[in-house]
Order: sequence, then structure tokens, then C-alpha cells
Amino acid sequence: MAEDLVLDTAIRDWVLIPLSVVMVLIGILRYFVSKLMLSSQVPDPKIVKEGQVIVRARNLRAAANFIPPKSFRSRRVYFSNEENGLLFVPKGQAQNAQAQMFSDPNMAMDMMKKNLSMIIPQTLTFAWVNFFFSGFVAAKIPFPLTQRFRSMLQNGIDLSSVDVSYVSSRSWYFLNLFGLRGLFSLILGEENATDDTQRMMQMSGFGFGPSKSLGAEKDGLDIVQHEWALPKFEHRAEAVLKKLIR
Amino acid sequence: MVSKTEETQLNRLENQVDNGGGGAWDYLCLVRKLKVRRSEKVFKYGLSILNDPKKRSALGPEEWTLYEQVAIAAMDCQCLDVTKDCIKVLQKKFPESKRVGRLNGMLLEAKGSWAEAEKAYSSLLEDNSLDQVIHKRRVAMAKAQGNISKAIELLNKYLEIFMADHDAWRELADIYVSLQMYKQAAFCYEELILSQPTVPLYHLAYADVLYTLGGLENLQTAKKYYASTIDLTGGKNTRALFGICLCTSAIAQVSKGRNKEDKESPELQSLAATALEKDYKQRAADKLGLLTSALRSLKI
Repeated sequence: MAEDLVLDTAIRDWVLIPLSVVMVLIGILRYFVSKLMLSSQVPDPKIVKEGQVIVRARNLRAAANFIPPKSFRSRRVYFSNEENGLLFVPKGQAQNAQAQMFSDPNMAMDMMKKNLSMIIPQTLTFAWVNFFFSGFVAAKIPFPLTQRFRSMLQNGIDLSSVDVSYVSSRSWYFLNLFGLRGLFSLILGEENATDDTQRMMQMSGFGFGPSKSLGAEKDGLDIVQHEWALPKFEHRAEAVLKKLIR
Repeated sequence: MVSKTEETQLNRLENQVDNGGGGAWDYLCLVRKLKVRRSEKVFKYGLSILNDPKKRSALGPEEWTLYEQVAIAAMDCQCLDVTKDCIKVLQKKFPESKRVGRLNGMLLEAKGSWAEAEKAYSSLLEDNSLDQVIHKRRVAMAKAQGNISKAIELLNKYLEIFMADHDAWRELADIYVSLQMYKQAAFCYEELILSQPTVPLYHLAYADVLYTLGGLENLQTAKKYYASTIDLTGGKNTRALFGICLCTSAIAQVSKGRNKEDKESPELQSLAATALEKDYKQRAADKLGLLTSALRSLKI
């Protein structure tokens, strides 16, 4: 199976390069469209406060050994107190936050807009690639692959004797999809709307309401054992000074 | 906090610009990034760039940021006409902007018309109640008017929402220390240590406050924090060395009757004294006599 297929250079001229160019152009177009459709979202004070509480609680956990034990204990009580501790969320409320997020009209609209702006161009481009650029070998991947990848990478090619390294243009499309992110951050600066992969990761982790992280922080704080690091410092200071004086 | 490398870079650029070597724009960008307060230089060099139409057009969209920066520097140097001109230009370009509204509020503050400035800020806050900078400007205004209790109240309310803002904690600690409310100041410094445990300044300030509060437990804790400052600064911090000597002698005085010797660091005081003497010998040899007599009186 190790014969080398010679691919027409016309493929490179008329398939690979135009596909990349088209994807770059579509990305730039989406960026500008997203800028036009940008609605400034007024941040909810409760959410901001919760975010800050989490940061403060995390700091407390991380640097707990640097403050005297009494201060640490009083702060811990302040955070995880049953009645009005900052991190304490009664069971009923925990579910509410998530439902609230979905029913909040502004946020739902925003999410829909962002999702649409990502899904539609992807779908269109994918359909276009399939229609025009299927049925032939487009490129050869430089490293050998197993047979498993055949169905994924060689969709239009119905010959099972062709080496799996020869792929169709669909795989070139996916390669571009994930790879052009770096190019976009060069051209458009950071924080552009074409960051699909980031958005996809955000979507998968979306069930995470703020109250869940509060609960997690509270548990973490309860676990921390306070071991005051300061007495060690006296010894270390001695050592430092001894070295300095020598 | 500005790091050492950034500070040297800033000074180098400053020297370069002062001696006519160009690079004013880089200097201004660095000042803006590090948020240092060099208003006279920013004012002088920024204004020279803005008044030269060729250089101004070379900046492109950054021109407006420069206008804002020069406006604030001009207010700091009390050149209010320049400020008014800059704000006018910005307002023409961005008529409905909140940032320009904030600059207007700051101009009213600089002129001293407190009531109008307060009105301007409240109206801006109505649109966006979570604008951190405007909250801080209100606190600054209260402080400038001398109304420290109001400043404390506003700052506490701000910190209830934005409790991870360590600059605000630092400001609150300063205010408490100026009012001699040391227990509250100690709390603020603890917050600062929690958020940035490796910055020696906070340890030092906390130790100072604890030493001022007095009482055996506080003195012992203060000694530990002076020791941690010494550790974090490699022994170079003179104040911490003095702190150790003073703490040890104060502890000895307070616990004169009870024989509770903390076995941890009997040598620490003598080591600190030796380090101090060495330091003085190197840097201020004429004051060495004063130092030795002071240390001797402490040990008694």
C-alpha cells in the first residue's frame, strides 16, 4: 500500500488555497458583524458580588497560613456561617439560579445571538465544501494514520485501498477551522468573535451556575487546616541575617 | 505594584526623554500601563505631541487616549484651561461617552465645585451602578473635602460589593491608620496579606500596626511579621530590622515578671542589631554613634 499518489498541483491552486482564503474572509466578516450587533450588557450586581466573594474566599484559602489563627477563624465563620455567611446558599436557591439564567430574557437573547453567529456560517461553509469539494483526494497528511480515521477523513473517497494519509477536503476544512484562530488573533487583535473553540468549551461547561461554585468554595474553606507559617519565618529570618552578616 | 524591572525601564525612558532623546510616546504608553503618577512630565510631553499636528495624526486612534491622559495630568497640575480644551475635543468626537462624562466630573472636582461634581457622578452611577472608577472618585472627593467619615462609609460600601479590590483595601487601611483606628487597620492589612502574601510591604505595615496596638500577644505577632519581612526582602529592610530590636525589648519589658522566654529566636535581636550596624557603617557612617547608643539603651 505504500505507493505514492501524485496529486495534481491544480488541487493546491484551486482547492486548498481558496478554501483557506474563504474561511479567513468569513471570519473577518463575522467579526465585524458581531461588533455591529454588540449589545452592552449591564452586569448584574449580585453576580458581580458573588464573583468577588469567590475571589476573596479563594485568596483566604490560598494564603490562610499567613495570618494569625484568630483572624483566620473569624473570617472562616464570616464566610460559612449558617445564617448569613456569604458563601452559604440554602438548598432551594441553588436550583433557582440556573433556571433564572435561562429565563432571563436578555441573557437568553445574547446566548442565542452568539450561538447563531457561530453555527450558521459554520453550517453554510461546511455544506459548500461538501458540495463542491468532495469526491477527490485533496491532500496528504505527512504522518501515517491508522485505519480508524478512514471514515472521518476520507468521506468522499469510496476506494478502500487508498492510504489513510490521503484525505479529502473536508478534513482540510476542519484543520482550517481550528487552526485559523491564531491567524485571527494576529489580524484582529485578541478577543474576537471568531474564537469558536473557546465558545464551544464554554458551552459544554455551561451548567455551572454561580451558586455551585459558592458551595464548592465553602466546602474548600471548611476543609482548610490552619497552620500558621509565621513562626517558621523567625528561623528563616535568622538564617538570612546570619548569611548577610558573614 | 510596579516591579523592579519595570521601574528601571520607566526611569531609563524618563531620562531619555528628559535629555531630548525622543521616545516620548513610549514613555507615555508605559506610564499609562503601569498607572504611575508622573503628571508634570506626562503633561509636558503629551501636550507637545498633541500640539504638533504631524505627530498627532501619526498616532491614529490612540490620539483620543492621549487626550484623556493629558487631560488628567493637566488637572493634576492645575492647568484647567488645557483640561477644558482636551475635554471639548473629546466631547466633540464621542458625544455620549461615559468616559468623557467622568472627565467632566473630575474637572468639576478639580475646580472645587463639590456639589456639582457629586451630581455629575450620581447621574453617571444611575446608568451603570457598577462602575468601579466612579465609586472611587466619590471616595476621593469625600477625602479631599476632609469628610473622612463619609469617605470611610463610602469605601466600606464599595468593598461590600467589590471585595477583591486590593487597592481599595489599602486605601481603607491608610485612612484607618490616619484616624488611629488600629484594629480596623489591622483587619485591612490582613486582607492585603491574604490577597498578595509575598509583598513585604504589607507584612511590614501589619507589623507596625500590631506593634502600635501593644499587648504581649500583639508584640509577639508583630515580631513574627517583622521577621517575615526580613525574610522576604533578604534582610535589606532597615525598618524591619529596627522593628525586631524594638519588639524584642518591648516584649522583655512587658514580660519582665513572668519568665516566658520564647525559645525561638534569642539570637534574632543581636543578629538584627549587627546587621543594622553593618548597614549604617556602609551607608551613613557618621550616624553610627547614634545607632549604637540607641541600641544599647534598648537592650537594658
